[in-house]
Amino acid sequence: MASEKNATDVSVRINSDDNLLHAPDETLVIQVARGNSTALEVLYDRYASTVLGISLKVIGDQALAEDVLQETFWRVWQSAGTYQSQRGPFTGWLFRIARNLSIDAYRRRNVRPQTISGAEGSDPILEETPDPDTNVADQAQSILKNRQIRKALAALPTVQRQVIEMAYFYGMTRQEIAEATGEALGTIHTRARLALQKLRGEFERDEFEG
Amino acid sequence: MNLKDSMDPRIEELLPFYALDALTDEERELVESYLTEHPEARAQINDLQSGASALPYGISPVEPPRHVKESLMARVNADAEAQVRARSTVQASRPSAPRRSWFENLFQVFSLGAAAIAIIWAIVLNAQVSRLQTEISGLHETLAKQGNTLEQILVNLPKSPSNVITVSLRGTNVEPSAHGQLIADPKEQSAVLIISGLPKLEANKTYQVWLISAGGPVSAGLLTVDENGQGVVVVTSDESISSFQSLGISIEPKGGSPQPTGDIVVLSDI
Repeated sequence: MASEKNATDVSVRINSDDNLLHAPDETLVIQVARGNSTALEVLYDRYASTVLGISLKVIGDQALAEDVLQETFWRVWQSAGTYQSQRGPFTGWLFRIARNLSIDAYRRRNVRPQTISGAEGSDPILEETPDPDTNVADQAQSILKNRQIRKALAALPTVQRQVIEMAYFYGMTRQEIAEATGEALGTIHTRARLALQKLRGEFERDEFEG
Repeated sequence: MNLKDSMDPRIEELLPFYALDALTDEERELVESYLTEHPEARAQINDLQSGASALPYGISPVEPPRHVKESLMARVNADAEAQVRARSTVQASRPSAPRRSWFENLFQVFSLGAAAIAIIWAIVLNAQVSRLQTEISGLHETLAKQGNTLEQILVNLPKSPSNVITVSLRGTNVEPSAHGQLIADPKEQSAVLIISGLPKLEANKTYQVWLISAGGPVSAGLLTVDENGQGVVVVTSDESISSFQSLGISIEPKGGSPQPTGDIVVLSDI
């Protein structure tokens, strides 16, 4: 009798875990807020590589970037209840946590960032590496989305891309960017606006196609 | 004239950096203040934020080593187990000995304190009765001489602790779950009020107790409730409690008001 019950429990858990694998991010965050560690694991499998990519770009140090990756998902575990879906998608919240923790870590440890590079794939990264734990369809969609946006970033004039990357990934203010690039503040404003407008068009097209 | 034409150019140049979350605190406050006053500008911010939100996807993903996930999940699972253990410990201890928060303990102490006050009150009244009975003995002789009976005098004297009454208090429609008791000797000018079921107020507000007669409400003190919505206060008045018909509690600004101005949360006849 006990073994029958155990078998049922295991079956329910497998079905439940299987459902989580295909659940939308927002559903998973609700589960995480209820203390479901499997839901957190699914989110980690979906986004850990992007978070590590962000962190590594900001900090430029693999070990520190891995610490930030773990800390980012620990924050998700602890603060999932504070996420509000009406204020934007989960990924926006997650990447903002990662970005802010990365900038803090960089400033605290004063580690040199990687050279501000183009987005053509010249970074020392494992591009589009298949993850055996991730659903193949999700993986393909994610790869296509990333590829399309990288293409859009690559299509931006270097000076425009440089401004938005300095602001977003390194938390530099517009005055700091003007000083670092030797350009007038007005030029920095224009470049940032134009770059974001072009990216927005690409992102929306991607969302529509996705 | 479109929005861009009419927008303050100083704000307009800040918007892309607001979307990129790269403004100083002062600049961010400036933009947010502008957005509050000009909600129509939010559409432009949303467009720019949409562009900024594409940036993380432009990063080539980096496959993390397995030990990072193992370490994270070990930490998370340990935390989850600790939470489950904490919950089951609370549940297991509930039937035999309910765990009390320190607020509940504090309330219990207050309740015991109130009971102690009532007992002391009774003792004091007993002493008064003894003293008065002694006086009555003396008066008896005098009255006997005057032809009156002792019984006529006793009617007007506080005879025993049974003079201490308990009045049930109920919440109004504003706070229907509020309830409590007023322990009072109607002839005295103070009483003990015990209340529960009231929400804790913001720091800039307070509960105020009112004793109400035909002449209107008179403040009888301020009341603070704990996290569990419970509170005890000794209410005082220049006149005896019996001269009032009702007791009310209202929500007032910190420090109290000369007259009730906020919601009445408790109102009962006494």
